Amino acid sequence: MPVDPTIRVLVVDDMATMRRIVKNVLKQLGFNRVDEAENGAEALQKLRQESYGLVVSDWNMPVMTGIDMLRAIRADEKLKSIPVLMVTAEAQQSNLIEAIQAGVSNYIVKPFTAETMQDKLNKIFKSSGRERTTFAHGQA
Amino acid sequence: MQPHPMNTEQRTQAIYREIGALARFVEHAMQTVAEIGRPVVESSLELPTVASHLTDLAKMTEQGVMEVMRLTELMQEDHATVMSECRAIAGALRTFGQDDLAGRLEQVLAILKQDERRLTDVMTALSFQDLMAQRIKKLVAILEDVREKLVKLVVVLGDQPSGNGERLQGRVGELFKELGQSRDSAMKQEAADEILTKFGFE
Repeated sequence: MPVDPTIRVLVVDDMATMRRIVKNVLKQLGFNRVDEAENGAEALQKLRQESYGLVVSDWNMPVMTGIDMLRAIRADEKLKSIPVLMVTAEAQQSNLIEAIQAGVSNYIVKPFTAETMQDKLNKIFKSSGRERTTFAHGQA
Repeated sequence: MQPHPMNTEQRTQAIYREIGALARFVEHAMQTVAEIGRPVVESSLELPTVASHLTDLAKMTEQGVMEVMRLTELMQEDHATVMSECRAIAGALRTFGQDDLAGRLEQVLAILKQDERRLTDVMTALSFQDLMAQRIKKLVAILEDVREKLVKLVVVLGDQPSGNGERLQGRVGELFKELGQSRDSAMKQEAADEILTKFGFE
């Protein structure tokens, strides 16, 4: 069983296909409360309205990029402790360093596997004291 | 022997000859540039069409990927139901002392679980579409930039291509024609069936 399956997750990506993929993988990992946003600005709006335990975001998006959204989250007293996992095609070392400097919780390069997502989430929740011990895959 | 120095009139004529030669050279050079540049400029008129086809390609793959996702999700839902039922039946069999049958059912469950992982892998493999769409977006932006530069070349050459739809000849022209046909007049199965029905096909 996931340690905290009630965590609400926000998936941020301008591509509907990617949102669906990430949502599907999260569901397989036991997260059932998953919302979506198409860009950083929409995500910030949702984050300020509802309580989320995790943000999974793309980098390149119109209106507001993932990295700008991450900086905005870290600069906001109420939001700054939310883990942010970036899932992006921006695979340059400089991108990763920029994301780390902006306060990213972990980083996945597209294309990715469910195992990579599980591994990164385990690391995020381990560091925040909510370790997920099993790959739920729809059941315990 | 010292050459005779030219008088003013002779010098003027010499300068005119030089200017004439220079003007002919410039004119010839301009003609050559125009001849070389014209096909390039004419091809550039098709760049928006190329960009449009690339954008169509991204949309087509997105639609295809969405359908594969929909079907995969349905299979995942069915898998979850089947696994839940199998677990319940295996539990009941053990309760009634049918350990052999329960064991066989648990082997089936293991296979189903493996398939479940594969279905998740199918979903994540579809992320290629996002990478492809991003690259196509960049290619379209590059094409637009090239087109703008070629438009500037048109101004320099002072030679506007005809734009009558018969700009490109040969293989490239044929390919454009085929691309246009595949997009504009590709027949849907319903339309094909209608025609087949009219011709007596059941």
